[in-house]
Amino acid sequence: MPSGVDYDVVINGQSQPMCCPGCRAVAGLIASGGMASFYEQRTAFSLRPTVETLEQESNSAARHLIYDDPELAATFTEQLDSGNCKAQLLLGGMTCAACTWLIEQSLLAMPGVKNASVQLSQSRVDIEYCPEESLLSAIFQRIEALGYKARPFQSSAQREQMSGEYKTGLKRLAVAGLGMMQVGMFAIALHAGDIQGMEYQYQALLRWVSLLVSSFIVLYSARPFFTTAWRHLRQGALVMDLPVALAIGLAWLASAWATLSGTGQVYFDSVVMFTFFLLLARFLELRVRQRNASTWIDLEESLPPLVLVRTDGQWQSILRQKVEAGDTVLLKPGEAIAVDAQLIEGNSAVEESAFNGEELPRRVQAGDIVYAGTVNMEASMEARVLGSYRDTRLALLQRSITQGEADKPALAMLADRVASYFVAAVLLITTATAIAWLTIDPHQALWISLSVLVISCPCALSLATPAALTAAANALRSAGVIVRGENALESLSRISHLVFDKTGTLTEGELTIAKIVTLTEMPEAEVLSLASALQQHSNHPIARAFEKAGSNINFDSVDYEIGAGLTGQLGGYCYTLGSERFCRQYTPACPAPPGDKLYWIALCKNDLPLAWIGLSDTVRAEAKEVVDSAKAAGLTVELLTGDSSDQGPSLAAQLGIDTLNTDMRPQQKMEYVKQLQCRGAIVAMVGDGLNDAPVLSVANTSFAVAGATDLARTQADFLIVDRDLHAVLNTWQKSRQCGRIIKQNFAWALGYNIFAIPLAAMGFIPPWAAAIGMSLSSLLVVLNSLRLNR
Amino acid sequence: MASLYFLIPVALLFCAIAIKLLLWAINNGQYDDLDKEAWKILADEEPSANKEPSARADPVDPEEKPS
Repeated sequence: MPSGVDYDVVINGQSQPMCCPGCRAVAGLIASGGMASFYEQRTAFSLRPTVETLEQESNSAARHLIYDDPELAATFTEQLDSGNCKAQLLLGGMTCAACTWLIEQSLLAMPGVKNASVQLSQSRVDIEYCPEESLLSAIFQRIEALGYKARPFQSSAQREQMSGEYKTGLKRLAVAGLGMMQVGMFAIALHAGDIQGMEYQYQALLRWVSLLVSSFIVLYSARPFFTTAWRHLRQGALVMDLPVALAIGLAWLASAWATLSGTGQVYFDSVVMFTFFLLLARFLELRVRQRNASTWIDLEESLPPLVLVRTDGQWQSILRQKVEAGDTVLLKPGEAIAVDAQLIEGNSAVEESAFNGEELPRRVQAGDIVYAGTVNMEASMEARVLGSYRDTRLALLQRSITQGEADKPALAMLADRVASYFVAAVLLITTATAIAWLTIDPHQALWISLSVLVISCPCALSLATPAALTAAANALRSAGVIVRGENALESLSRISHLVFDKTGTLTEGELTIAKIVTLTEMPEAEVLSLASALQQHSNHPIARAFEKAGSNINFDSVDYEIGAGLTGQLGGYCYTLGSERFCRQYTPACPAPPGDKLYWIALCKNDLPLAWIGLSDTVRAEAKEVVDSAKAAGLTVELLTGDSSDQGPSLAAQLGIDTLNTDMRPQQKMEYVKQLQCRGAIVAMVGDGLNDAPVLSVANTSFAVAGATDLARTQADFLIVDRDLHAVLNTWQKSRQCGRIIKQNFAWALGYNIFAIPLAAMGFIPPWAAAIGMSLSSLLVVLNSLRLNR
Repeated sequence: MASLYFLIPVALLFCAIAIKLLLWAINNGQYDDLDKEAWKILADEEPSANKEPSARADPVDPEEKPS
């Protein structure tokens, strides 16, 4: 909790402190809606709401009005026979099942909403509503008021693929499970028969039905093991799936041969049990990963869907996709710009954090080019469209992300490295056994070599990694870190470099008043009060720094000169507040700003300079400690920033970061990390902005901090939900612990095999002992992995 | 023991039906969200009982809610 603020909310009769106005508004809405039990039931922390969506509620209401446009609404709603409409919305910010309940309950409480059903796995909500009673804009607004984000759902190939992967996985698992029960039932009878004797015809019957069921399982459920192993083998790579496929395939073939020829031993129960265990472990791991896989992927979707275009001398809203090069568009203040365009008229400032990560806007005037994905901060502008979305700078950014994903260096996973040795060893031992027995007793050679293969079944070995990863991901989730990337934990445990972004990651990402230097007798409080009163009339991001101060002064009139400063009349005096150059126009006597590396603005009264106010982006309180402990732990800490000012070097000096690169464009950041990787570094990147997305995608592993843009979240392997940077190091430690557990699992699984294989080679292990041994060693691996949950 | 020749095929038939039903349910999307349904039994609030009047600003007293 930040100190010195008071954002309390009464929940269940108790006053609870909140960290920001955003959280207060959300918690207040939840508590007053009678849904406070959300807080008792949730299993993960919610993401922190962005302040803009709540502070400027009227503004956001206006933003959602576009969804009432029938043409736009038609792209994601359908008319039902009953006269109601069904809309599909994509949700952002859902962290656990309690969120789905909260959203469903609050939507159902709205008039006109007939049904609402949230699908956590797809981050989607299906809403059935009566168009006469309820407006789509109200639904959007309600969801945002709860602290989530909503956007029309458009089905994409990636989403389809994820849902398909999940369904197929579940189907294979279900078939394997039911089949395993059947085969297991027959196997118990067979094992009992082995021990106490059984008539040949019944044994043959049981073997034949086992063959039937297990063939189905091997062909249907175990298929992915064979295809993956074969795909990698063709490329010359040995992966964990190869010994798995060999064990399943050979044990099944041998058992089938035993059934057909009426001799030897059958291992159908081991085959299906192995298949089921492995599918279960992989399915659970997939589920943990998919649950957190954000689907906010397409940058283009994040642009405003409607654009104001001049047709026949009038402004008309048309769909963004229909805008053509050469059209004249109107860019309103406070709205995201949807196209790359050249300004014809107007004078404003655009916030370009998408490209440089900075919050301070760039001043633009007629003739300048503005880019899609940036935000017009101050005044309306008219602009000529330069081209379609594919030609925009934003599309270029998105393409470099795709490029980054493709270039991400694949670290050889421990399991796969072990697998290659394992396959070689098992094949070697089996051959040796076969040769040895051929000289001792040729009659038994085949069956004993096969039992060696079955005993060396890598069940525990192949469970070692997924079990540990799933347990660690669950443990991190309750600690406020969401694991998204595949193999991310294993990569993290081996990093050598920890690279930070500056604005929004190491710093809070918003300007605050750092220093006031008074030039007259006037006390600081009065300076602040005057400045705050003036800033209330500005849209510039600087104004936010003054919001906390508040003021009871009312100016008679205030003029806002876009991108320069403010002038206000009070009691016959003219006050000016703004940059040095702006104030000089009114107060030539204005002195040079103090030497500190801050963003300075001056306050003057007529021709008398009153004070300099220094603004800066505050460093997160824990940043120094985190950087120090990372260095102490032997990591190389670096800073990459898009900021070209001298804020970067001063921050690096303050935190003790030796290597620093400033003024980096998104693509340059990406190239820099690639160079590091070429030199053998394993890089973890911590970032937050749209401009960090390419570098997050190329780094070996990556973190998105709280408040990160949606795109950065989709690229990061880990999401930090609360605002504490310590989570980066805690996750790193957890990943190292996870790495140790994986190694222990491997040691145990290999130890079991080393102990059992000689026994099998001597012909001492009957099928029932093989089945028990396999289950017990796998159970031990799972129990060991569960230690990560503590 | 000869009854095995009858009983085992019957068991297999039941198993086949169970698999068929399960696959149908999965394809039908009934297993798409395993967390929500498990969680729902804990949240025993009647959704229809808490329609709020159309004015959005109307604060609702949590005391009056059905638990």
